[in-house]
Amino acid sequence: MNAFSYVRPRTLSDGLRLLRSGASALAGGTDLLGLMKDGLARPELLVDLTGIEGLRGWSRAKGKGLRIGALTPLVELEEAEELHRAMPILRESLRDAATLQLRTMGTVGGNLLQRNRCWYFRDQATACWLKGGTKCFAVEGENRLHAILGAHECVAVAPSDLVPALIAYDAEIALASSRGRRTMKLADLYVAPHGRERREHVLRPGELITEVRVSESALARKGAFQKAMERKAWSFALVSVAAAARIERGVARDVRLVLGGVAPIPWRVVAAERGLEGSGFDEAACAEAADRALQGAAPLRDNGYKLPLARELVRRTLRSLVV
Amino acid sequence: MPPTIDRRGAALRGPSAVDVALEVNGERVVVHVPPRRTLLDALREQLGLTGTKKVCDEGTCGACTVLVDGRPVYSCLTLAIACENRRVETIEGLAKDGELHPVQRAFVDTDAFQCGFCTPGQVMSIVALLRTVPQPTEDDVKRAVAGNLCRCGAYPNIVAAGVSAGRRKRT
Amino acid sequence: MTRILKSIEEFEGEVSESLVIVDGHDLPPARHDGGSPEIGRSRRRIDATQRVTGRARYTQDLYLAGMLHARILRSPHARARVRRIDTKRAEALPGVRGVLHRFNTPKTPFRGDDVIFREEVRFVGEEVCAVAADDEDTAREALALIEVDYERLPHVVDLEEALGDVAPQLESDGNVSESGSHKRGDTKRALKEADVAVDVTYRTSTQLHNALETHGAVALYDGEMLTVWESTQHVFGVRTGLKNALKLPYSRIRVICDYMGGGFGAKNGVGKYTIVASLFAMRFGKAVRCVLTRDEENLAAGNRSATLQQLRLGAKGGRITAIEHTSWSNSGQGKWIANPTGPTNTLYEVANVNTRSYKVVTNAGSLSAFRAPGYVEGAFALESAIDELAEAAGVDPLTLRRRHAGAGKDPITGNRYSDKHLLECYRIGAKEIGWDRRRAGGTRGSAPHRRRGIGMASQIWGGGGGPPAYATVHVDPDGSVVLTAGTQDIGTGTRTVLAQICADELGVELDDVRVQIGDSAGPFGPMSAGSMTLASVGPAVRLAAHDAREQLLGAAAGVLETPKAELRLEAGAIVSKGARTPLGEVLGKVDNNTVIGKGIRFPNADDLAQKTFSAQFAEVEVDVRTGEIFVERIVAALDVGRIVNPLTAASQVEGGVIQGIGFALSEERIVDRALGRVMSGNLEGYKVPTVKDVPTIVVKFVDRPDRRANNLGAKGLGEPPIIPTAAAIANAVANATGARVRHSPLTRARVLEALALAGIRD
Ligand SMILES: Cc1cc2nc3c(=O)[nH]c(=O)nc-3n(C[C@H](O)[C@H](O)[C@H](O)COP(=O)(O)OP(=O)(O)OC[C@H]3O[C@@H](n4cnc5c(N)ncnc54)[C@H](O)[C@@H]3O)c2cc1C
Ligand code: SF4
Ligand code: FES
Ligand code: FES
Repeated sequence: MNAFSYVRPRTLSDGLRLLRSGASALAGGTDLLGLMKDGLARPELLVDLTGIEGLRGWSRAKGKGLRIGALTPLVELEEAEELHRAMPILRESLRDAATLQLRTMGTVGGNLLQRNRCWYFRDQATACWLKGGTKCFAVEGENRLHAILGAHECVAVAPSDLVPALIAYDAEIALASSRGRRTMKLADLYVAPHGRERREHVLRPGELITEVRVSESALARKGAFQKAMERKAWSFALVSVAAAARIERGVARDVRLVLGGVAPIPWRVVAAERGLEGSGFDEAACAEAADRALQGAAPLRDNGYKLPLARELVRRTLRSLVV
Repeated sequence: MPPTIDRRGAALRGPSAVDVALEVNGERVVVHVPPRRTLLDALREQLGLTGTKKVCDEGTCGACTVLVDGRPVYSCLTLAIACENRRVETIEGLAKDGELHPVQRAFVDTDAFQCGFCTPGQVMSIVALLRTVPQPTEDDVKRAVAGNLCRCGAYPNIVAAGVSAGRRKRT
Repeated sequence: MTRILKSIEEFEGEVSESLVIVDGHDLPPARHDGGSPEIGRSRRRIDATQRVTGRARYTQDLYLAGMLHARILRSPHARARVRRIDTKRAEALPGVRGVLHRFNTPKTPFRGDDVIFREEVRFVGEEVCAVAADDEDTAREALALIEVDYERLPHVVDLEEALGDVAPQLESDGNVSESGSHKRGDTKRALKEADVAVDVTYRTSTQLHNALETHGAVALYDGEMLTVWESTQHVFGVRTGLKNALKLPYSRIRVICDYMGGGFGAKNGVGKYTIVASLFAMRFGKAVRCVLTRDEENLAAGNRSATLQQLRLGAKGGRITAIEHTSWSNSGQGKWIANPTGPTNTLYEVANVNTRSYKVVTNAGSLSAFRAPGYVEGAFALESAIDELAEAAGVDPLTLRRRHAGAGKDPITGNRYSDKHLLECYRIGAKEIGWDRRRAGGTRGSAPHRRRGIGMASQIWGGGGGPPAYATVHVDPDGSVVLTAGTQDIGTGTRTVLAQICADELGVELDDVRVQIGDSAGPFGPMSAGSMTLASVGPAVRLAAHDAREQLLGAAAGVLETPKAELRLEAGAIVSKGARTPLGEVLGKVDNNTVIGKGIRFPNADDLAQKTFSAQFAEVEVDVRTGEIFVERIVAALDVGRIVNPLTAASQVEGGVIQGIGFALSEERIVDRALGRVMSGNLEGYKVPTVKDVPTIVVKFVDRPDRRANNLGAKGLGEPPIIPTAAAIANAVANATGARVRHSPLTRARVLEALALAGIRD
């Protein structure tokens, strides 16, 4: 780790002001410190957000939906019973994410902004395209964990388990910077690295995520989450699937289907969602949606297995919404 | 060197070493460390508490598990300075007056280790569990130690130790 | 009378003959009537409190006053010539004390090379330069300031690429060399005459040890003595390595390993980091610490070779008539390979066998012994192939094995086994798993698209141990006992079982025995590897305790003025005609005298083969749509002679099985071929089992003393439990699904591919 200064502001405005260039926000540190140890991030100043009032915890006011502070530890989302009743997919998606210690340290905001786990990216000695080099080493190298969909110059995959679940509920994020505030759909935070855009999200420098919001109407959806791993715990997703829909008298409305671990961004498949709209998630509809979800897939040398795996996981996750 | 004061009052500290006050195993201590020093290194190198082990130094093994404010965390991914005025508990603080903690006793009785290198981390994870779930099931214990690798493969006995420590506490 | 005897020993599949100095006589086999106060009893580890309180000091935990920190610069290239090294900027960094590299380091012979920094570096991670600094951070920063001019050379890292024509040839005689063969009978003819035959190719990936404590040493030189603390499985091996490298006499080197955090075969001798720490220590007269990081551990601290194995098996009339087995192992830059054809050569009584194994050098890290090296890889292939043959022949796979597992003689040497209960292992294991529930084609699983199956595999391994090994037992005037032996406790419970043996034979309480091991200042003993510790050191301890007891009884006879024949020593008291006098009280009369008992390991019989045997049975479910394997139950039934401590023995078996599960399902070193770099060099990419990957494990011991093996009747237990696990699982997966995966680990990709190939979807 490089040497840096440290500050722990008490208020959001102090925090925003301190986040000048060369500074990084520190939440749980589970991703950032790892990057710093590998020399992949070298901030001069760490602004520890954990002392800021009001960014931690969640609330659900009647009719106003759910608001989750960006500094809320993941373990709180997983353990809170009331939250579990309001939005069971949170616990489902977090149960197999990382480990209890990492979920205790890691925060919602940090999880949304964690960087990819491509082993070339994480290897300090490899100057790959995403790090400003000329070449993606994974495309022709060891790519069993990489993308089968939606990739451009970089074939790393979106690693988070929580994000697909949140996107399936049309979550929005609230952002703040010293220049003002804005909100955006969580889904819009992510970009597949391409061209001059050599990063995974569009957060502006100096900007913080303050909150994640899920609308009351989205909370009426039923959701399901499944994840395939290389071992039974402590593994990023080979493939994960989050699905949600409002089910009225056996008929699906507002269907959402989002995959993790298969593309550089959380992979929402609108075509498959449309096909399911109005269906009863019967076998045939789910199987067809699974096929649609994988349309256009372009596997690399070692990740072809993700195709049948994702297809089956999509089918199962969708089916589990009704059975 | 006095801390640089940011224009509006938040104190910037470092990059050179600063005094950081911690509560470690019930005692207040001050360590003189740069902000980049992890809690793990501060415990081991500054405070001589070498019971907490460094195995991966990047959050992938669990050997460095300690409790901060009662919750299990990886001390290799925690900055010492971020624990200022927090309660840190390590393996060295468990036995009281020469009496092993019930979890330690259960580890001894069920042979829940071989080389013992993962043991301090495993024990701390289970200690944290028992505070919220006094009588855990096997699945509770597994969830608690799924973030603690044991290369010797003492897992079956670790799970047994966790369950039996819960029962023991009741009596 | 002192004399020289011949002994036959087996170490990791290699049988050798040695000469041993002996004096006096060995003891007859210990009694096995259930009356032993200690042997055969489950005992908590005597060092357990130290380990659970964090007080146990591992090498990593030593921080000595004024200690320097050494770090190693490693080659980023798979193969390159080191032309020039510029360390000016590094040496100018405040806190840097010195650097070592090939241009300034004296000859330091190391494993066949005469230097530790080679001109041509041959794998990513090979040592190029070392820095000593006042602290770790400075040393790390200094590494980044060293400029090395490399001339890159063509490389090859992959086993099968190295076998091809286009690969660069790394040795003057090519990349491939034969390392062993065995032939009996005529396999060609037998295969021609067979009713059924299978011809199959298996692959196993490279497995990394990943002991939680990385390799490391702390060296201290005081002008006379070089003292080295090292995380090692053999303090004497490290001493020998240092003697060769540094040209110091044994008397000036002391190697200590008090506690160590796992080795699994990778810590059997001296490392370059040991030599680096020692050279700096000798130069600066200070303590120097050199401990590897996890990444370094996975680049340069050894591995289990990847293998490619071809097997041809024939059966006739429901019996195996021929096995041909050819194996290639990726030795990386290692100088040897372990032999995957070992099990094929010896496990079954088959008339026609022809095997050959080849070492293949590549530009990858060297192999080192990894818990049953060769045998784990070989058993995966052989035991999978036997199931494939059984299926082709329409015979139950256990029945087929039974027909060949009863032999009483080692098929290579013709020597009789000192003892063998493999059939009994089959019986116990089959009953416990419920083998009669097994159906050809498997059964339905507990959820849709899940299939259930049962499989098994068996194992042979040495484990008889042998000389030289020594122990002494000091009894102090207060009746307390210090047992000193040439060994170390690598987590297997050595301290505890040796204390049990000592207490048992001597007639004192377990708590009265303090065990002093892990120190080359004591008497010599073997490495803690190859399942030989207990069978080598245990008998010497028993003899030493016996010797001490005889002396104590003699002394007591004098003090109590009672004939020695009327005295016994029991639970720490001298018993005479029903009266008990505590030992301390008796010896108090001769205060400051010390009784010293001495024991050695007597030779093995030169006409017997000492082997361990076992079988494992696995029950699994497989999700045929996602390729996920659920191991539900493993039953291990073992014949390893007498069990000294059932509690710690069961732990050993569970640990072996769990490492076997890792080998079977998830552990795999992944190397980028173009870069030669290990991509799964950390514990995120390299997946060792977590607690959730562990099934119910049932451990059963035959527990019969091997009276012809040694005076304890105990054999080794370290490796047997890891050998058959992967094959048992692969066989269970094949039984469940009808799809055969011939490459370990059985990842999703491989399982899904095999299922697709077999056309299985439900
Ligand atoms: C070994 C390992 C395994 C893991 N496995 C999984 C897994 O299976 N599934 C999964 O989903 N995740 C997994 N993770 C990732 C883990 O969940 C994330 O590291 C964690 O959620 C990040 O949160 P944090 O608070 O620690 O973030 P930090 O490390 O503190 O921050 C991460 C990034 O986000 C920025 N940041 C943090 N908070 C804010 C904010 N409020 N506003 C703006 N920027 C912010 C930081 O500047 C930094 O760039 C794993 C991590 C590790 C180390
Ligand atoms: S996938 Fe992306 S991060 Fe990985 S090597 Fe390619 S460009 Fe770099
Ligand atoms: S040392 Fe902290 S998790 Fe491995
Ligand atoms: S006891 Fe050795 S790693 Fe757990």
